[in-house]
Amino acid sequence: MGIVRGEEMVLNIGPQHPATHGVLRLQVKTDGEVVSQITPYMGYLHRCFEKHCENVTYEQVIPFTDRCDYLSSMSMNFGYVVAMEELMDIKVNERVEHIRVTMAELQRIASHLLCTGVFGLDLGAFTPFLWALRDRERILDLFELTCGARLLYNYMWVGGLSHDIPNGFVESTYEFLDYFEPKVDELENILAHNKILVERSADIGVMPKDVAISYGVTGPNLRASGVNWDLRKNDPYSIYDRFEFNVPVGEGIKGTVGDCWDRFYVRILEIRESVKIIRQALASMPKDGDVHQSLPKKLRPPKGSIYSRTETPRGDLGYYIESDGSPIPYRLKMRSPAFTALSVMDEIGAGWLLSDVLAILGSLDIVLGEIDR
Amino acid sequence: MVKYFADIYNSTTAILSGMYLTINHLFRAKKGIATLQYPEERWPRPERTIGFEHGSYNVIRSRLHVDIDDCIGCLKCERACPVDCIKIETEKSPNRGEDIKDINHIGITSNSTKKALVVTRFDIDMSECCYCNLCTYPCPEECIFMTGGPNESRHSIDYEFSEPERTDLIYHFSKPGTKDGLQEMLNNREAEA
Repeated sequence: MGIVRGEEMVLNIGPQHPATHGVLRLQVKTDGEVVSQITPYMGYLHRCFEKHCENVTYEQVIPFTDRCDYLSSMSMNFGYVVAMEELMDIKVNERVEHIRVTMAELQRIASHLLCTGVFGLDLGAFTPFLWALRDRERILDLFELTCGARLLYNYMWVGGLSHDIPNGFVESTYEFLDYFEPKVDELENILAHNKILVERSADIGVMPKDVAISYGVTGPNLRASGVNWDLRKNDPYSIYDRFEFNVPVGEGIKGTVGDCWDRFYVRILEIRESVKIIRQALASMPKDGDVHQSLPKKLRPPKGSIYSRTETPRGDLGYYIESDGSPIPYRLKMRSPAFTALSVMDEIGAGWLLSDVLAILGSLDIVLGEIDR
Repeated sequence: MVKYFADIYNSTTAILSGMYLTINHLFRAKKGIATLQYPEERWPRPERTIGFEHGSYNVIRSRLHVDIDDCIGCLKCERACPVDCIKIETEKSPNRGEDIKDINHIGITSNSTKKALVVTRFDIDMSECCYCNLCTYPCPEECIFMTGGPNESRHSIDYEFSEPERTDLIYHFSKPGTKDGLQEMLNNREAEA
């Protein structure tokens, strides 16, 4: 006897649903428990970021980039200032570069901690989520110490930083790293090798290499599918070429390469690599140097355009800036890594059970603020 | 068959190691406790010991405040604001740097700049503010700042402000009646002359 096909039912998950990580509506066609088609509807958080940027000056864009990906604001700032500095041909000094890398990597840890914690929460593990948030809080404290803000920083400026790091920042960061490294092992122990989580995530939502590449998926999601591609290594910006670190790639330890477990585990491995980078950056940070040294008096880039990409915790973030020589951008386009990650949802999510769809969505680590912009 | 027993072994060890961790945490809870009973306890604010001389730079993000006696009405903060939550209107002062007693206008700022303008309106809508701090940097008189931080002596930190009405979040910093008072005074002067 073949499979009995029942009547399909259309079910909306979201926009107000805790598992959709924001205001996202997933329209799923279900046949019983099996999902046959997923259509993500987004735009609930659309704030006209790109159009709005055509009305504000270049320095005023930075607070708006914060609000795109609110879980990794530092990295969003970083991408924008790297693009602007390339367009204006500004070279910032060593101290600024080191501080920027430190901040971006701390932000990567914070973002990945939230992602891994929430992934556990989606699958029913509550304790690791609290542990992850507790450690993330320490990182936010470090940011607060530096620039006063805990979530939306406006810290990196074109040609420098808003503030120098405070006295004792380096020491407290070392202290945090010493405290944090055993905690990563703890998080991995309780979460990654837990039988329940492995059963729920291994072999689920497999994203093969070719699918990931053809959909333009980047970041940890791409690396989990077995592609060794990290802009910090393959197309180094800032001073990433000086640091020793590995690019963790999904190996399919518990199941197939590119399954939910791999996507989750790659992030834990990346946290360790970020810790390594921060230690090196702090050790080689020059003691003196003015963070306002290369701030331009007027932010007025020459006529021209630039496309520059950086590696945020979610992947390849690109800024396309078209300048007409005025202090206001003529056009600003952002390539969002989470958008492409969401677009692959139907391809890898169809055919799985309803509860697995939420696991797949959680493992993709999307941030709706960045998708809708 | 092997898989059956391996599964049982794996599940048991996973559960046991998880339980070991959590029980361990239970007995060490006092040391690493992370929750604070918020209204009674608060997170300590980090000390703002900044490594370079910056005096005017405000590190904290809280409610904006303006020392209106120091404001020269240059509109730099209004232009810097990305969300246009600062609204300033100015009138020309009859004489540069002159004190106008009728409307409580002080002609010279604490940085001894002579004011050429009278600020008749200085409104900040804190419900629109995005706390980006961009308005505080360009101020030549350092009169707009976020409360707390290096200005703690002048204004203690205020980040827990809430109001029942949205309009209550619009803060008026200019002295009330400045516009009418100035007009009246100019009319009087004209009549005298």
